[in-house]
Amino acid sequence: MKKSARKTLVAVLLIVAGVGFLIYKGVSETGVYYLTVGEVVGADTEGFSDRGIRVSGKVVDGTVEYNQRALNLKFTVRDLADEEKTMKVVYTGVVPDAFKPDVEVILEGSYDRATNTFHAKTLLAKCPSKYSKEENGEKE
Amino acid sequence: MVNFGNLSQVFAFIFSLASMALILTGLMKNDARFLESGRRTLYGLALFTTLASFALGYLFVTDNFQVEYVASYSDRALPMFYKVTAFWAGQKGSLLFWAWVLSIVTAIVVRNTRTELKSRNTPYIYLVLATTLSFFLFLLTSVSNPFDLLDFIPRDGQGLNPMLQNPGMIFHPPTLFFGYIGFTVPFAYAISAMVVGRLDETWLRKTRRWNILSWVFLTIGIIIGGQWAYVELGWGGYWAWDPVENASFIPWLIATAFIHTAIIQERRNIMKVWNMVLIVLTFVFCLFGTYLVRSGVLQSVHDFGATGLGGYFLVFITVVLFGGIYLIAESYNDLRSKHTLESYLSRESTFLFNNVLFLAIAFSTLFGTIFPLISEAVTGNKLTVSQPFFNQVNTPLFLILLLLTGICPLIGWRKASADNLKKNFLFPALTALAGAVVLFIAGIRQFYPLAAFSLSIFVAVTIFNEFRGGTIARSRMTGESPLTAFPRLIYRMRRRYGGYIVHLGLVIIVVGITGSSAFKLETQGTLSKGESIKIGAYELRYDDFRGYRDRNRDIYAATLSVFKDGKPAGTITPERRYYVNAEKPTTEVSLRSTLVEDLYVIMPEISPDKEITLKVTVNPLLAWIWIGGTLMVLGGIMAILPNRKKKGAL
Repeated sequence: MKKSARKTLVAVLLIVAGVGFLIYKGVSETGVYYLTVGEVVGADTEGFSDRGIRVSGKVVDGTVEYNQRALNLKFTVRDLADEEKTMKVVYTGVVPDAFKPDVEVILEGSYDRATNTFHAKTLLAKCPSKYSKEENGEKE
Repeated sequence: MVNFGNLSQVFAFIFSLASMALILTGLMKNDARFLESGRRTLYGLALFTTLASFALGYLFVTDNFQVEYVASYSDRALPMFYKVTAFWAGQKGSLLFWAWVLSIVTAIVVRNTRTELKSRNTPYIYLVLATTLSFFLFLLTSVSNPFDLLDFIPRDGQGLNPMLQNPGMIFHPPTLFFGYIGFTVPFAYAISAMVVGRLDETWLRKTRRWNILSWVFLTIGIIIGGQWAYVELGWGGYWAWDPVENASFIPWLIATAFIHTAIIQERRNIMKVWNMVLIVLTFVFCLFGTYLVRSGVLQSVHDFGATGLGGYFLVFITVVLFGGIYLIAESYNDLRSKHTLESYLSRESTFLFNNVLFLAIAFSTLFGTIFPLISEAVTGNKLTVSQPFFNQVNTPLFLILLLLTGICPLIGWRKASADNLKKNFLFPALTALAGAVVLFIAGIRQFYPLAAFSLSIFVAVTIFNEFRGGTIARSRMTGESPLTAFPRLIYRMRRRYGGYIVHLGLVIIVVGITGSSAFKLETQGTLSKGESIKIGAYELRYDDFRGYRDRNRDIYAATLSVFKDGKPAGTITPERRYYVNAEKPTTEVSLRSTLVEDLYVIMPEISPDKEITLKVTVNPLLAWIWIGGTLMVLGGIMAILPNRKKKGAL
């Protein structure tokens, strides 16, 4: 009986170890850093950008350019707290319903320090109305 | 009506406290009269929550916008149907709904056990139910009152979020809630069994139907939620590992594990500790699910506003969790099994492994959901994970689970013989292998889809073998033709065959998920009238555009002709809708669904000169997810159909 209990324990431990490994691997291979515009522009993001980063910021009014034919969107985004810190954003694809000037957006992609441009692969816009926590937009 | 609703809630709360007090007194004085009054008080409680719920419904229907909750989720233009369902659109109404349904469920339990009051554990069952109810009623009468008034009367309400104006939304939250609430009953039975030390499988037998019924509701809720997301949210998928989706999936996983090992305990009298742990965890995560949806700790599509409710929920969840752990530890010696596992190759072991896997998936899902919080607390960095994490971690676990779905029901008890293995698994394994080879030759070269399809074949063949073998045996024994024998067999042994049907549903879902995720096509483009967009075998030509007013919204619709392999295949009309009370337009999905594949079109942009931007997705085999889901639900219901003699024995 003791032997069988040990057998079970060994099997369960193996599974637990396997799952632990999967989770560890999952985090290290798919985890992305969630930063503010200020952090991206100001800090050393070398280590962060291999897999891309996620950034939240606010769309600056009067900077939005959209070419519907090419589905090409360009705008400037600023830090939520600090208006001085901005970067340019380039995005190709469908623009979410809630996107407009002064709205809070969440971008995922990579940052090019030389041109201060963020190449967004995904764009989420937060709705400013009473559904304040709701996100609406493109998911993969 | 506002006062009436308020008063009803307060009375319900008082009744819940009174019931607890009476039962406790009865237990201490060992006086059946107190217990009986405590029991009856629970009926009164159900009456008052019902009155309160009707009051809230009435306020919605009569557009009483002085009530803050009504003003936040309804407006005059809202169709009557949605006015009624706006009841549970927000946190406060959802909590009232919880309390209402739980009080009805409690009344049913109270009625079914009316002759069992002498049994020592029955009062404790009532006590757990009454305590849970008083928690919700406390919230309703204090921090989260749906009858709270504004200090002015707005001319109109703010309206219901257009995304919630969809038939799927009528059933999704209540079915999920039914599932969450239903698990309160087995939890109450488990706690009472531990308190009085009646640790045999009686509590499992008595709550089996509640377990499966709650599981069925959770399943329906999750599937409807997926379908709602698919047809309403317009991003082309049905599951995004969103925190709230996860919050409903975690209790489902644990409950599913529990239902499986409950069978083992009934049959072999082992895994008693394990089952107690599982039911406590299930209930904890049902509460956690309710809490996540309605508190705003994590950002999510479902999160319609945040309040400071979280603290109370966390306290209650902690009490439940630690109370459960304490009781399990106290009764650990009595719960420990005399028998243990004898071989890896046995039904007991494979069930144990299936359980570990269910819990592993539940854990990794929970981990990923709260990871941003952990990461920030531990490292100060906000490292987040999203869909890729869940897919990467859970896919291999699901595949092993799928394999076990085929093995568990057929492998021998205690120690499987070589004969048993050969008889049950040789043919399915060979078929699966052959299937894999065929698919490989047909061009499916990625590992996961190949493994998923081939394991699906394996499980499906084992199930068909069981159906076939059973039918042949019955038809030989009774002389019925196989066509008569088959349905009768299934009905006669519906508990067993209901389980097989659930498994078959799962296999079909796996096929649908694999097809639609691994072989999905996607394209986007902008068209002027007359232009076309191509995707796979399809070509869509933009023919016509129109705009019109419909009730509480303006609709702009484009008509496109669909051609498949060059042949006409109907039309498709994606829309954009501008609801009167919403700041932003919504995208209405246009869907052409067949058993082979779904053509899924949204129109996110219309230019002033009526150029339209389209996003087009082709999702192969996706419809099978809904078919498999339906089958799962039917199988579950079949497994709990009552015997004809004992009517209504829930």
